[in-house]
Amino acid sequence: MSLFGNIYPIVRDNWRVGLLVVLVALSTVFLFAPGFADVTAGEGATAQERQTNLKYGLELDGGTRIRAPLVGVTAERVTFGSADDPGQLTATVERDVASELADAEVTDVIVRVDRQTQNEGFEGTVEVTIDNVTTDQLADALSAAGYEFDSTRSGVTDETRQQTVQVLQSKINEAGLSGGTVQTVDTLGGRSFVLVEVPNADRSEVIDLVNSKGSVRVVAYFPTEQNGSTVYQNTTLIEQEQFQRISNAREADNTQGLGPRVPVRVTENAAPDVQQRFIETGIASPGGTRCTYTANPNGTDPCILLVADGEVVNAFGMQPSLADSMQTGQWSADPAFVLTTTNFSEAQQVAVDLRAGALPAPLDVGQGGSGTASFISPTQGDDFKINSLIVGIISVFAVSGAVFVRYGEAEVALPMIVTALSEVYALLGFAALLQFPLDLSVIGGFIAVIGTGVDDLIIIADEVMSEGEVNSRRVFQSRFRKAFWVIGVAAATTVIAMSPLAVLSLGDLQGFAIFTILGVLVGVLITRPAYGDILRALLTDK
Amino acid sequence: MARIEVPEPDYDRYSNRQLAAIPLLVLVVAIAIITVTYLSTGTPVALGTDFAGGTEFRVVVDASDNEARELIGTAFAREPDSVRQVGDGGEYVVTFGPEVGNEEATRMEQLLGCADAADTSCASDTQREAAQQVTYRESFTVSAAFGNTLQTQALFGLGIAFGGMALLVFVMFRTFVPSVAVVISAFSDIVVPVALMNVFGIELSLGSVAALLMLIGYSVDSDILLNNHILRRSGGFYESTYAAMRTGVTMTLTSLSAMIVLAVTATFFGIGLLSSIGTILVFGLVTDLLNTYLLNLSLLRWYKFEGVKR
Repeated sequence: MSLFGNIYPIVRDNWRVGLLVVLVALSTVFLFAPGFADVTAGEGATAQERQTNLKYGLELDGGTRIRAPLVGVTAERVTFGSADDPGQLTATVERDVASELADAEVTDVIVRVDRQTQNEGFEGTVEVTIDNVTTDQLADALSAAGYEFDSTRSGVTDETRQQTVQVLQSKINEAGLSGGTVQTVDTLGGRSFVLVEVPNADRSEVIDLVNSKGSVRVVAYFPTEQNGSTVYQNTTLIEQEQFQRISNAREADNTQGLGPRVPVRVTENAAPDVQQRFIETGIASPGGTRCTYTANPNGTDPCILLVADGEVVNAFGMQPSLADSMQTGQWSADPAFVLTTTNFSEAQQVAVDLRAGALPAPLDVGQGGSGTASFISPTQGDDFKINSLIVGIISVFAVSGAVFVRYGEAEVALPMIVTALSEVYALLGFAALLQFPLDLSVIGGFIAVIGTGVDDLIIIADEVMSEGEVNSRRVFQSRFRKAFWVIGVAAATTVIAMSPLAVLSLGDLQGFAIFTILGVLVGVLITRPAYGDILRALLTDK
Repeated sequence: MARIEVPEPDYDRYSNRQLAAIPLLVLVVAIAIITVTYLSTGTPVALGTDFAGGTEFRVVVDASDNEARELIGTAFAREPDSVRQVGDGGEYVVTFGPEVGNEEATRMEQLLGCADAADTSCASDTQREAAQQVTYRESFTVSAAFGNTLQTQALFGLGIAFGGMALLVFVMFRTFVPSVAVVISAFSDIVVPVALMNVFGIELSLGSVAALLMLIGYSVDSDILLNNHILRRSGGFYESTYAAMRTGVTMTLTSLSAMIVLAVTATFFGIGLLSSIGTILVFGLVTDLLNTYLLNLSLLRWYKFEGVKR
């Protein structure tokens, strides 16, 4: 009872210090206790031993970051007319629009039906997602194809962007780039960018992945008779979505005479159709076909073309045994197939593209593109880590030196520096808790926090010690409150000044702004009042 | 331990006009510099790679400085816009203009990585030999279009931040002259560093924009302190002024010492973001001393002794 009676006033008078101690203790838990680290996202760094739960960003760990808008133009509120089958309708519109545009393939046009009206039938958007198609060209193409529309603009629809993000994420996973993330960021002007971050990857690797659509088609190339002469035609045999299973790419096997290849399996639903197409185009003829597409394109047997992003990767014929099983209809019961390529890396690329699906729209990072890309090697990241730590420590020394020189009393100066450092420590705890990736800009934020923090502590110290001795709690409280008015207004200003940067996610300054704001809040709400209590304890006990 | 006391200036020897003349003159000169730059180049300050677009490489070369610069030109198979040495030797930041976009930059990476005579990506034998001594550790490309978007964003951000600050100051003080004094000081604290960037040939980067935003916060700190002491406390004008100065100057000098150290060490290590934050804040904090204790003070004195009576 008496123990409680003794403790109570101490607790009452020093609860602010207590709060600071709790904050520091919590930060220690967040920083060092196992279990707080994001295990899944940190795969790239498992090799190195982790001493803390801090997550490092690309600038400090190495990797590639690409930030770019998506390639594409969009026509809004296009009227498609009425139809029984909307699926059929979109396919028709896609074909119509593509045929009016010189460079566009069917896969480059995306038609989305938004709604159905009584008079006009179906209505929706038309997007063309390749470079070099302007909004005017899209408008002309739509008019030429006979579709009315409301307006055209650059950029793609939200749906396309979401799909692109998903496909990109799976492409990165399929390519074995662990820890890579894809997200969209919006700017104040309403523009949207896609942000791709891949630790420990070279920039060319990532650019190749995001700047190509990765559409893979299996096409038949076969002769037909037209007006008495032989003309070769292309028709799609297997669409990307008709594959059920895509095995890993296999290296060439010389003992069996097999080239680099990707074994695949067609879905059971699609198998009879696919089989029918193989037979109709003459590829699955009795005795098989021999393809001489590269040597003699105008005199070859029907060929299977493997087309990736509009380019023929490989052309091959069909073995007699497979052709026979298609002829008899047995194949559709076990629709396995092998896509051969000319080298292993192509096979790998085809496998990745097939599994991840085609990118609805590529990122605009090519020639004349409007994206940015950066690469930092792990060595440079380590250098940045160590050097920025040194820069931070030296800055703290500079502040400490200035404060000591000014006050001359360790009683005032030392708690000041300890308090300012505890702010940064608390912020590091936050960073660990939120798994916010530490980058150079965040470290800049820490230094800014020390700067503003010490400024405020100087205001408190000067105010409390002004005009004679502090001999009672009441005098202290009134002076402390006066100091706090200035600190509060200054803190509000800093928060206002930094909030645009925290919201505008463009550029690399978001971390700087977020941590400056967090630092100011932690400072005003917890650490700076605690410093007031410490100072009072030291001054009134005299 | 040595103690440094903030000197007490003899304000009563000078008129308000005399006091305000210096910072206002500085502001006018700064605006003139920015205007001239704007008229001759189209931007108020030279834009760095972040805003103008272009490509920057950080490379390590194991050779003497002169040799290294030559090797860099050969290895990239293109003359860079600038080659800057960072750290204690061997490390260089190589900058190319906006004409080097992502595709060209990727090609350059291949050039730097070209290893042996069989490698077809090498430009020539001499290029290959140079490339073997030049290792790249960092590269980034900003397209001109992206840089443009960033420019708009930065302007937006500065505008919103400044407007928000001004609004807050007016709401907190609810009197015209003291509020305007704070806002003008803050304006000058941003404009003068921008002019100084022109004078010293420092390009605008994301870091400098962050620093300019920080300056709004730092600038208002000491101004509010001064206004608060003079307007809301009992005691004579000069007594209050001196009390505010003692605290305010200490604050600014402490921040200044931290930022000088930050600017110097970060520049030495070639950490561009931190060095530009440090440099711009050094400019701004020095300007802030001038503006707070000459401009803001003279406006407050006028307000206190003459403005209120009217």
